[in-house]
Amino acid sequence: MAEQEVLLTVSPSPHLRSPENIPSAMRDVLIALLPVTLCSIYMYRWYAVFLIAVSMAAAALFELLFRKIMKKQATLHDCSALVTGLLLALCLRPGTPWWSVILGAFFAVGIAKELMGGLGWNRFNPALFGLVAVTLLAPLYVGTTATFAPLRQFFGPLDALTQATPLALIKQGLYEQISLSRLFLLSPGGALGETSALALFIGGAYLLYKKHIRWQTPVSIIGTVLILAIFWGNPLENIASGIPLYHIFAGGLLLGAFFMATDWVTSPITEKGELIFGIAIGILVMLFRKALGPTEGVAFSILIMNAFVPLIDRLTKRPKFGEVPAKKAAVAPAGTAVSKSN
Amino acid sequence: MGAANFRGGVHPEHRKELTASLAITAATIPRKVVIPLQQHIGAPCEPLVKVGDAVKVGQMIGDSEAFVSAPVHASISGTVAAIEPYNHPLGRKVTAIIIEGDGRDEWCSELEPVEKVDDLSPEEIRARIRSAGIVGLGGAAFPAHVKLSPPEGKAIDTVIINGAECEPYLTADHRLMLERPEDIVFGLEVIMKALGAGRGIIGIEDNKPDALRVMRQAIEGKSDMSVVALKTKYPQGAEKMLILATTRRRVPSGGLPLDVGVVNHNVGTTVAIAEAVRKGKPLIERVVTVTGEGVKRPANLMVRLGTLAGDLLEYCGGLREDTCKLIMGGPMMGLAQPTADFPVVKGTSGILALTAEEAAVYENGSCIRCASCVKACPINLVPTFIAQAAEHGLFDRAEKLHAADCIECGCCSYICPAGIPLTQWIRIAKAEVLARRRR
Repeated sequence: MAEQEVLLTVSPSPHLRSPENIPSAMRDVLIALLPVTLCSIYMYRWYAVFLIAVSMAAAALFELLFRKIMKKQATLHDCSALVTGLLLALCLRPGTPWWSVILGAFFAVGIAKELMGGLGWNRFNPALFGLVAVTLLAPLYVGTTATFAPLRQFFGPLDALTQATPLALIKQGLYEQISLSRLFLLSPGGALGETSALALFIGGAYLLYKKHIRWQTPVSIIGTVLILAIFWGNPLENIASGIPLYHIFAGGLLLGAFFMATDWVTSPITEKGELIFGIAIGILVMLFRKALGPTEGVAFSILIMNAFVPLIDRLTKRPKFGEVPAKKAAVAPAGTAVSKSN
Repeated sequence: MGAANFRGGVHPEHRKELTASLAITAATIPRKVVIPLQQHIGAPCEPLVKVGDAVKVGQMIGDSEAFVSAPVHASISGTVAAIEPYNHPLGRKVTAIIIEGDGRDEWCSELEPVEKVDDLSPEEIRARIRSAGIVGLGGAAFPAHVKLSPPEGKAIDTVIINGAECEPYLTADHRLMLERPEDIVFGLEVIMKALGAGRGIIGIEDNKPDALRVMRQAIEGKSDMSVVALKTKYPQGAEKMLILATTRRRVPSGGLPLDVGVVNHNVGTTVAIAEAVRKGKPLIERVVTVTGEGVKRPANLMVRLGTLAGDLLEYCGGLREDTCKLIMGGPMMGLAQPTADFPVVKGTSGILALTAEEAAVYENGSCIRCASCVKACPINLVPTFIAQAAEHGLFDRAEKLHAADCIECGCCSYICPAGIPLTQWIRIAKAEVLARRRR
């Protein structure tokens, strides 16, 4: 007999578990965001550092606070608040007032995530929800740019801060002011996360390599935007001017396609669902860009589609294993194909 | 050409190095065995002996009139000490014949050895395999003769021998392929003869290159047999996955392999069939991998059926103090045992003693919809949705999500970063869905 002092655990199989868990996955997202974060810091120096630090700290604090108020266990260790904080900062422009960042973090983590029940229960992407809240509340603090002045005193002047965004230039037909290669590699204008398309591609590739995201969402978003940008207007002229590529490299499209629309919690769960989701986002983005102002089109598009996720999930059933399509049946020997149809 | 594959699956650490290089050795013949009257899927056996009867090794001591059943045999010689309910590794007490050994290991042969496959008709093969009590030794323990009796109108053209051994830790089949290749080839011939199948495939995961080599050598000159290298991935050895990987055929939902003209047998079963024909030997022993960090001396052992796990563990040096889980079978689909006081049965491929460091802890967190389970599920389910339906008692929804198709491989639980015991929730849903269908 085995020694009786050995106390055995009885639980259902499987008895092994992958070393991968939520904190490790979130850390991978932070790693994937590192290239673009470094690019933004290179471009905006202390302004970027300040924004990122305030946003991440506020996101973490609001998570702690909300969970404390709701008498729930603290979940800071899952790193999701840090991811949200960093993503929010990357969506903001350098020089955004600090209290505006904190307000954004409040809406992102407090309202969009914790009030919905915490990680896994939120309907909308927290960072984008926070961004849109800040954007919509902007009229409240029009004219308060004075708060920005002390910051400038502190961090010194920076030309990059006053650059027009590439998308605004495209809208005005002045896109030739920035070259495509600069836009791809490193260029100022717009939010922190819009400084380098290359950095976002690297981050996205890392997430794909680590299998945290599937190709369906980013490819369908980028592909749809590319196709629409080519065929909206005169295709030949569009191609000659390179405008379709501007649409992809500029603005929040890549940040949205690789890091926001792929948010596990707020995106469809099946491959087919992700394709539908991505194509719809791509169409909305182009509608926003062509019909409305050049601001936060990607954010609105993704948030709108977030609302459709439960419906998409319901409509995209995965094919049942063993539902043999007609042509596959021909591979089976004649005798079995007959018996199967009985 | 790459190794044969299927979509989905996971890559747990193999941990086979503990025993992969250890040749199969015979465990000491125990002084007492406990032979449950049910060690197979189907009808339980009725005892053929009484308390006090003397029995010999190989003597049939339990049988049933039912077609889907398999007789049991004495695995040691001695006296029937009791016929009473005893712990069964499947988790309940089952009536068992307890034999006190006389230490003489006297055999009785009820079946005549047959040298050549051609000397037996398909009917004789089936009858022999039934009376030898052979069931699927991979773990499912489905009576082998039933699989060899396809219903009218179902032509079987392919026999697949499952040498995938995709469960981590286990090396029993690996060792059999290295040490008994002729038996496997002979067994395959027998099975093909019984079914009239023209093609035999031996599927082996490509993490066992030595087994691939040995088996390829063993089938040389046999044009109707092939050895297929399978991608090393769990659950490559699951029936539906193995058939898909080797033949590109998909077993229909709710169907059986014979619906696509295939019959599967495990390597261990094939060796048992070969022995039943060539030696007239009934199933009285099997190879068991006793392993895990909790076992002091891991081993691949030829074990008499009915040997108590505790005796076997003692033979392997006993358990380490930090053992926290004792499992019958592999770590992905095996059953955790509350005690070592249970017998080795026909479906016991391994006995694992896992330490706290090795064994999983599931914390049932919130789903973050990461779709890891969706990507891992080899049969295209959305495990987390079925689990949610089960958690809320929504069994109609679970049925619409094809809960009944689940093969309980455990991939979804294994991969879930939130530690949700998805497989267990789906088992609950599946049981309820199937129960409702029967009503």
